[in-house]
Amino acid sequence: MLKLWHKIRRTGRVAEPAPAHPGGDRPAAAVELGGSVQVRHVDAGSCNGCEVEIGSVFGPVYDAERYGARLVASPRHADALLVTGPVTRNMAEPLRRTYEATPRPRLVVAVGDCARNCGVFAGAYGVVGAVSDVIPVDVEIAGCPPRPEAIVEGLRKLTGR
Amino acid sequence: MNLAATSFGIAMAAGALSIVAALTIPARARSALVGSGVAITGLAGVAAGAAAMTGQAFSLALTGVLPLSGVSFSLDALGGLFVAVTGGVAVATGIYGISYAREGSRSTQAALPVFVTAMLLVPVASTVGTFGLAWELMALASLLLVLTEHRHRPEVAGAGRWYAVLTHAGFITVLIGLLLLAGHATGDSFPELREAAGHLSPAVAGIVFVTTLAGFASKAGIVPLHAWLPRAHPEAPSHVSALMSAAMVNLGVYGIVRIGFDLLGGGPRWWWLLVLALGAVSAVYGILQAAMGTDLKRLLGYSTTENMGLVLIGVGAAGLFAASGDRGLAALALAAALLHVVGHATFKTLLFLAAGSVLHATGTRDLDALGGLRSPMPVTTAAFGWGALAASALPPGTAFVSEWLLLQALIHGLPASGVATAIAMPVAVAAVALTAGLAVATFVKAFGVGFLARPRSSAAGNAHESPATMLAGMAVAGAAAAVLAVAPSVVLPGVAAASNAALGAAGPAVTGVVTLRLAGIAGSLSPLMLTLALLAAVLATAGAVRLLSTRRARRAARLWDCGAGPLSARMEYTATSFAEPLQRVFDDVVQPETDVDVTHHRESDYLVAAVEYRRRVPDRIERRLYQPVLTALSAWGQAGRRLATGSVHRYLGYGFYAVCGVLLLVAVTR
Repeated sequence: MLKLWHKIRRTGRVAEPAPAHPGGDRPAAAVELGGSVQVRHVDAGSCNGCEVEIGSVFGPVYDAERYGARLVASPRHADALLVTGPVTRNMAEPLRRTYEATPRPRLVVAVGDCARNCGVFAGAYGVVGAVSDVIPVDVEIAGCPPRPEAIVEGLRKLTGR
Repeated sequence: MNLAATSFGIAMAAGALSIVAALTIPARARSALVGSGVAITGLAGVAAGAAAMTGQAFSLALTGVLPLSGVSFSLDALGGLFVAVTGGVAVATGIYGISYAREGSRSTQAALPVFVTAMLLVPVASTVGTFGLAWELMALASLLLVLTEHRHRPEVAGAGRWYAVLTHAGFITVLIGLLLLAGHATGDSFPELREAAGHLSPAVAGIVFVTTLAGFASKAGIVPLHAWLPRAHPEAPSHVSALMSAAMVNLGVYGIVRIGFDLLGGGPRWWWLLVLALGAVSAVYGILQAAMGTDLKRLLGYSTTENMGLVLIGVGAAGLFAASGDRGLAALALAAALLHVVGHATFKTLLFLAAGSVLHATGTRDLDALGGLRSPMPVTTAAFGWGALAASALPPGTAFVSEWLLLQALIHGLPASGVATAIAMPVAVAAVALTAGLAVATFVKAFGVGFLARPRSSAAGNAHESPATMLAGMAVAGAAAAVLAVAPSVVLPGVAAASNAALGAAGPAVTGVVTLRLAGIAGSLSPLMLTLALLAAVLATAGAVRLLSTRRARRAARLWDCGAGPLSARMEYTATSFAEPLQRVFDDVVQPETDVDVTHHRESDYLVAAVEYRRRVPDRIERRLYQPVLTALSAWGQAGRRLATGSVHRYLGYGFYAVCGVLLLVAVTR
């Protein structure tokens, strides 16, 4: 316990300085949320590259929570879905159900090239299509995988902070 | 002839007629006649007991009935309480048995009224001979009833054997104690014993108390003599379980109170510290085993051990206070104990009858195979739910009032003199508190897993509601529990009369009609007002939620199942998984045996074909205490086989030499 305290004191703050607000148009549903967005992450068939980046977005360096975005454990608690990967056949129905289970107003963020347009998996036999082929998408974040800064920027569009 | 004598006479006559009816009437009408006969016997017993508690008494001596001593009866307030409780349980179980015991054979049908009659006679017996006769009749009748289903299930025989051995060992120790006491008196009637107890040396009085305590504790299912209880209760038919658990075990408490307080006139502190310690250990151990249990009736059996433990805590505390000269507190503690006896009788009858209804409908007692009974069996579910609440020591329940009184007595016992008391009281308070908490977990498990959610097996899925007479039996017990929960002042005068008869203290310990006030202690409780307040709070909350929720538009959504197909009954919480966290906490005490078997695929050790998990919570006290004795007995038996060769001459020789030996011994010692 004492060791942990020492570590915390020695390390200090490692978060990157907050970049300027990206600006741009905010989805109408996001305005209703008032700056706090609870996010449920759904892996619809990703190679886990995007997951690694999302992990670092909510880590101490990029720290997306300071902008009002927070990961939650159930779509019932969520305002937004963070969907990664091309939608595979097995995940199409669960993704639809997750979307149905999310209370309104709800937002969908498609993270990564696969989620936007199936990326390198386009036309593969197990892929149904991009996320927007299954559920309506509000924000898209490009990259394979997208850099953490890009994901933070996308989330800041929702929180408006 | 006063009311007590008349009613008791009617009870005995109805009991005798039921026995005759069971033996002579053809099978079609038998169970209806016997069931109503038992109910009438019980009703008359309640009237006799109630009359005795209001001050009427009767005694009757029939010198010609038995050779040597004859039989004699006398009913006082203390006996009256137990007669009334037994009668009340008999009313509910008699009505219930009309349809439940329809397939019963002639002999088992006849054993039921014998059992009830014997239980009514035990608290009325006023000589050692009569007491022993009634006690043994009760033990034999209940043994026959436990063995009812031995043709269908082989495990019944084992349970019956345990019960027979322990109950008879208990009877022998009681008999030894009473005969030792009678040996110092001029006769074997209770007034003579009472008089002789004044001149007894402390050592003899101590031996008498401890030997009788051992026998009565084994009847009451007190640890470590409880081993028969969780075996016999599940295997007996459910209305018999109810009679045994709610009426018969009480007579163990009756014996301790009668011998300890009434005949021996109290005693030194160590007697009652012993009773208190036994009670505390039983309460905690019983409820711990119940909390781990997955067999519905076994769980209820362990809960009986727990409740009798709580009663003995009260009895022990009463003895301690009486020994330190604090009669007011002693009366309060004993009143709490006796009120708990009455309350336990009502809710345990209800719970066992409801469990019997479940068993009748599904054929299983395993909680892990039940569930989903709410819609097919609404009345039984409501009955068990109410019984579970009544047993949980939570405000609108029956056990709450008596446990509150018990805690009041224990807490106010702190300033009483003596180091032993000062140490025992906080420990007892802690034991009662721990027991109450674990009881809530146990009954939440029994009700939630057993009755709610979805059926976990096809047997539970095909359940159907029980016939009307069974429901009526449960309704009687449930109504009695409800009356005790909201208006315990109905029975408190009777309880006070009984405790005064035992302690000789003047004045009731608890007064008041709506609000119970404790005599000499600042403390009051109003169960009725508490119930009304709780009801009002619940209604207000429900109303507020309804009002607020209608303002927003509602959206129907699919049940969230992680997006993967529908949830199946196999994903539900089971009794085993519910108890798992508790089992971890008490790992060192209960020492469960868990066994995980992983079967791999033949092709690769990295692929798992099947995982099998088994958990058993053995009764640790039983294993440590009884297993060595049984092993030794069986070794002796093997050794003794050499003596029994099958030769008649040899056996005759044994008899001859034994008689000669005894004669020689008598000649030498005289």
